[in-house]
Amino acid sequence: MTLDNEQISESNIQAVLSVKGITKIMGKQKLVNQLSFDMHQGEIVGLLGPNGAGKTTTIRMIVGLIAMNEGDVLVKGHSIRTDFAKAISHVGGIIENPEFYPYMTGYDNLKQYKRMGEGITEERISEVVKLVGLEGAMSKRVKAYSLGMRQRLGIAQALLHKPAILILDEPTNGLDPAGIREMRDYLKKIASEEGISILVSSHLLAEMELMCNRVVVIQEGKLVTVRTLGAANIENNGVDAVNGTNRSNIVQINLRVNDVVQTKDSLLHLKDIRIVGISPEKNDITVAIDDSSIPLLVNTLCEKGIALYRMEEVKESLEDEFLKWTGGNQIA
Amino acid sequence: MLNFGNLVINEWLKMYKKRSFFIPFAIMAVIIIGFVYLMKSFAPATITAGITSFDVINEMMNYNGLGQIITFLAIICTAGSVTKEHSQGTIKFLLIRSHSRSAILASKYVTVLLFIVMLTLFTLAVSFAAGVIVYGFEIHDVTWRDVLLTTAAALIRTWVYATITFMLGVLTRSTGATIGASMVIVVLNGLIIFLLSKYAFIKYVLFTNIDLLPYFYNQNPPYEGMTLGFSISVIAVYVFLFLAGSFVTFKKRDIA
Repeated sequence: MTLDNEQISESNIQAVLSVKGITKIMGKQKLVNQLSFDMHQGEIVGLLGPNGAGKTTTIRMIVGLIAMNEGDVLVKGHSIRTDFAKAISHVGGIIENPEFYPYMTGYDNLKQYKRMGEGITEERISEVVKLVGLEGAMSKRVKAYSLGMRQRLGIAQALLHKPAILILDEPTNGLDPAGIREMRDYLKKIASEEGISILVSSHLLAEMELMCNRVVVIQEGKLVTVRTLGAANIENNGVDAVNGTNRSNIVQINLRVNDVVQTKDSLLHLKDIRIVGISPEKNDITVAIDDSSIPLLVNTLCEKGIALYRMEEVKESLEDEFLKWTGGNQIA
Repeated sequence: MLNFGNLVINEWLKMYKKRSFFIPFAIMAVIIIGFVYLMKSFAPATITAGITSFDVINEMMNYNGLGQIITFLAIICTAGSVTKEHSQGTIKFLLIRSHSRSAILASKYVTVLLFIVMLTLFTLAVSFAAGVIVYGFEIHDVTWRDVLLTTAAALIRTWVYATITFMLGVLTRSTGATIGASMVIVVLNGLIIFLLSKYAFIKYVLFTNIDLLPYFYNQNPPYEGMTLGFSISVIAVYVFLFLAGSFVTFKKRDIA
C-alpha cells in the first residue's frame, strides 16, 4: 500500500496534464461525470468510448472550448479555468477536423498562429512544415488542400509553439490507410523524440492499440478503466515471456495438428493446461497454458508423433477487451 | 500591447486576404462616379448651378441620401467577423491560443472599426476628387465645417449600427441572420420612431438620438428636452450595453 501511495504522489508531480474530477452538466444530464486521469511526459494516451460517451466533450473541456461545471484541468500545474493563457500555451490541439481560412495559403494560415504565440520564429515554421512534409504546398491556398494535407497542416499548427502536450480529437478521421499510418508514425516520433505527451481520442480501436501506451476508457461520461498497453502486448513479447516465468502467465495457444483427439489425450497429462476449444473439422485445438510450459507441450507432441502444422497465440484484441469493458455497447 | 497589435493584424489580414475585400470600395467608387455623372448630364441647370465639390461629399455622407450605403456595406463586413469563424470552424483554433477570449473579440471589434473609418475616408477622398474634377474647387454655401460635421455624424451612425451588427453576430453565429436583422433595423428605424412617438420614453430610444447633426445647426431637437449631451449619453449607454452583451456571451459560450 505504501509503495502505491508513493507512486501516486510521485506521478502527481510529473503529470503534464492532470484532469481532476471534471463534470459537465447539460440540462439534467451529466455528459461527463467526475472524470479524472493523469498524463506524463512522452506518453501517448488514448481516450476511448462508445458513441456519446463524452470523449469530445472531455477534450473540449480540457482545451477550454467548453466550460466545466465541476473539477479542474491542470496543464503543467496551471489551471485551465483560472490561468487559461498560461495553461493553454503548453497545449497544441486539433479538435475534430482541422479547419483553416480557405482563401489564405498554408503559409499565411501558419503566420496567423505564429502571431498569436510567443517566440515563434520563421525557422520554427519551416521546421514544422518540414516535419509534416508540406514544403511543396505552403504557397497554395488551403482551399486546394486534400483532407490529408489539412490534417498535416493541423499538426504543424499544433506543434508551432512547442507545446508540452498535444491533444487530438479523432486525428485519423477521413484519412486513407497510408495517411493513417503516416500520422501514427509522426505521433510516435514526436512523442519519443521531443518528449511531447499526446492525448488522442478515437474510435478506431486497432489504431489506438498500435499507437497508445495507455488507454482511458469512458462510458456515459464516467471512467470505466485505465489500461496500460504496449510493451507486454506487442513488441517485447519474447523478452516478457522469459521475465514472466515467475508469475503465472497463462496464454492461449491455437494448434493445428493432424489428429485432434490424440493431441487432446496426450496434452491432458501436462500440468497447468486447460483445453479451451476443439474444432475437429479444422483440426484445430486451443489450449490455455502457462508460458513456461510451452516447450514441454512441444516436446510432448514430438514424442507422441503428432504432426504440428501451426502454433499461434490467440490474443485478445483491444476490441474484445473494449467490448468487455463497455458491456458490448455499440462501437462508433 | 504588442500582442494585441498582432491580433488586430491577424483580423485585418483575414479581411484583406479575401478577394471580396475591395468590393465595398469599388461599390462606393462606382456610386460616386455615377452620381456625379448623372448630376452633370441630366440634372437641369437651375439645380446644378453653384454646386461644388463639397456638395458632392455632403451628398455622399448625408444620411438621408447616399450616406446609408456606407452603413449597409459596414454591416455586411461586420457581420462576418465573428460568424464566419463559427461557420468555417476556425473558431476552434482561434480560441485555443494563449489569449483571453475578450482580447480576441476586442481585436475583432477594433478591426471592424478600422475598416469603417477606412471606407469613410475612401468615400470622402473619392467624392472630393470627383467633385473637383467635374465642378472645380470652390467653396460656396457648403463649407469645411459642414463637410466635417456630416462625415462625423455619418461615422457615428455607422459605428452604432456596426456595433449592433457585431452583437447580433456574436449572439446568432449566423452571417445571414445577422445581416438580415441589422438591415431591417436600419430600414425600419424611422418606422420604429414613428410608432413609439406617443410614448414618453421615446427620448431614450437609441434611434431617436442617433442623428446628432440637428444640434449643430440650431434646429429644434426631435423631442422636448433633448440636447447634444443627452443624445451622446444615450448613444454611449446603448453602445456599452451592446458591447457588454457581446463580450459576456462570447466569453461564456461553449464551442461545441
